[in-house]
Amino acid sequence: MPTEHSWTELVRGVADLRALLAFRASGLTDRVRVRLRIAGGVVLALTVAAIVVPAYLKGPLQARHASQFVAVLPSLYLGFFALAVLAAIASGGGREVVPREQAVAFPVSSVTEHFGALLLAPLNIAWLIQAWSVLGLTMYVVGPHDVAAAAAPLLLWIAFSTAAGQAVGWVFEGIRRGAHGILLARLIAGSTIALVVVLIATDRFVPLLDRSPTVRIYLAAAYGTGNQWWLWARPVAVLVVMVVVATVIGLVPARWALHRALREELRLESGRIEPRPNPRSDLRALVRVDRASIWRAVPLRRGLLVLAFMPGLVAVAGSLHWDMITILPGLVASGGALLFGVNTWCLDGRGALWRDSLPVSASVAYYAKVIVLFEVLLAAAGLTILLAALRAGPPSTAELTSALAAALVVATQVVAAAMRWSVERPYATDMRSARATPAPPVVMAGYSARLALRTTVVGLVFSATAVAPDGRWAVLVAVPLLCWSGWRLVRTEALWAVPEVRARVIAVVAS
Amino acid sequence: MESVERRERVRVRALWVRFGSVEAVRGIDVSAYAGRATALLGRNGAGKSTTMRVLAGVVPPTDGDVQVDGVDVRVDPLTVKRSVGYCPDVGGLVPRATPWEHLQLAARLRRMEGWETRAQDLLERFELGDAAHRVTGGFSHGMGRRLSVVLAAFHRPGVLLLDEPFDGVDPLGVEATQQVIDDAKARGAAVLISTHLRDLAMTSCEDALVLRGGSAVAALDSAELVGEAGARAYRALLD
Repeated sequence: MPTEHSWTELVRGVADLRALLAFRASGLTDRVRVRLRIAGGVVLALTVAAIVVPAYLKGPLQARHASQFVAVLPSLYLGFFALAVLAAIASGGGREVVPREQAVAFPVSSVTEHFGALLLAPLNIAWLIQAWSVLGLTMYVVGPHDVAAAAAPLLLWIAFSTAAGQAVGWVFEGIRRGAHGILLARLIAGSTIALVVVLIATDRFVPLLDRSPTVRIYLAAAYGTGNQWWLWARPVAVLVVMVVVATVIGLVPARWALHRALREELRLESGRIEPRPNPRSDLRALVRVDRASIWRAVPLRRGLLVLAFMPGLVAVAGSLHWDMITILPGLVASGGALLFGVNTWCLDGRGALWRDSLPVSASVAYYAKVIVLFEVLLAAAGLTILLAALRAGPPSTAELTSALAAALVVATQVVAAAMRWSVERPYATDMRSARATPAPPVVMAGYSARLALRTTVVGLVFSATAVAPDGRWAVLVAVPLLCWSGWRLVRTEALWAVPEVRARVIAVVAS
Repeated sequence: MESVERRERVRVRALWVRFGSVEAVRGIDVSAYAGRATALLGRNGAGKSTTMRVLAGVVPPTDGDVQVDGVDVRVDPLTVKRSVGYCPDVGGLVPRATPWEHLQLAARLRRMEGWETRAQDLLERFELGDAAHRVTGGFSHGMGRRLSVVLAAFHRPGVLLLDEPFDGVDPLGVEATQQVIDDAKARGAAVLISTHLRDLAMTSCEDALVLRGGSAVAALDSAELVGEAGARAYRALLD
């Protein structure tokens, strides 16, 4: 008798998830465990700080800009929901606690997969930053009176958005895996984008956001600090129910999606690929294979398309000015590197051993990877700038130079960091599934935090040069940063050239 | 004629390979001669695949002397890689490249001209002609093994290294692999085959080296490992 939607299966699913987490943790060294505990403590501390510190800043800052923040809070809550949905869709429903090829021998149910994906959803710097923004800005507006009561509806909204986003992600993944699923998925995505564009073009987007029902989340937080307990308790109770319902209801599409065949992956693997003329140089030959490894991998192709278009569309929707557009290339480049760049040799998979047995210098093989990663990041960042420019209007020389310099600098910076991590910390991963990641989820969270921090700082520097009288400041800032990243790339190449280091990387990714 | 056939193309002396505290290979000697095939036999973890990887230039030796056609693998790994054709024990294929793209890459890096006819011929012999333009990620294990043998033999290497070439391969694939081994021996290549399938290895090899725990425990004529008596002798060497 099928028991997949019974309480027994729910309890078993949770127990299995604990077992999978223990299996994953068993491979960690003591040093990594300590680092993970520290990272977890830092995230928890920052979350508490995002709740407490802004609340107590309201007084000293005399509630400066509070009314403006109130106006954008409902949109911010809605934005968090949209982010949760997009993240779940982009990750093929949700991330895997244990990679599929490792879990294939175990009877992992869709219940375990669903709860696992929910648990991993916060291990994403975009999720964390947005969550902290929701908490921080709201707490600043409502002030320090009864902080816990004010934070409760916000935390519940964050939980609900994540669970509901996960459910929508499974539905989208189920559609994608069906007959004509790719076409349907593209139609849905295209229509949604077209709808947003039309709303923006007809100036109906902002009025629509202003009528967002998420204003009730803010009101609930405000009631909490105003001792209006009955008014506070009602939305909080509703939110609790919403969280539970969204979590449980997500099991249905999760089961539906996970029981369908990986149609797009199978299509790619069974289709005929027309041979191309013979390459004219060793570097071109290697680059060609690496490019194919990217564009023929479902998670990479989908991730890059999302990265190329979404930040640009957000910039169009938010009508970003040129001095803020300089921050976007950093986000795009970081996201691109997180798709595969932080473990670049995973592109070769088990073919890494054969590839390394070919007579080509380690340096050429290294720079083939650098070129492919760099061109992908730069192209995605360039497209983002282009889309953002549609609404930002004609730039001044300083603005244009700053945006282009920012793209070039962050792309180089991210490639340098990603190549270093690829050589120092390789992982064996199969990038076949849309749910695959190039490194374990916890490691990915660390990488994303470090990349986001570095590239945002650089983006802000170029925001400053964008308001300079001419483009020379941007160039002056860009040159030393490019030299620094270039030097880091060369240093990593020297490391890669050491046979023992190369052998370790190859052995790990090919295992 | 005898002196030409006995030309030592692979010379390994006192090879040690360490991965951290693990000693994968502990001071073994291996010789492989032109026109002859040598089987590397032994249990899992005996050091067979690591020895093959050292000879392919993929893993550097920790200690010892490793020469392929007189070239030290540590001093000039690129020249060694040009002389060697290597079929790795695991996978060995880039998952999202087609067999043809693998051959194109190998041909380019090995400076091969007019290679297309031979590539087509090899793919047909291994019954991979129909799959030449499909990505290898969708291949069965046996298809992957067969393609790995094709890639190793493609450039007619002086030293052919086949690590578990018969693993999961159907009888026709085994025949095609044995044909490749015979062809290589006929043109004077030295062949090293690492396998657990003793009977199959003995049909293609003249010499056998049995490894245990990273050390060589016996160097035998393959005739000594044939049949029931060979199986008993081999079994005794494993304990």
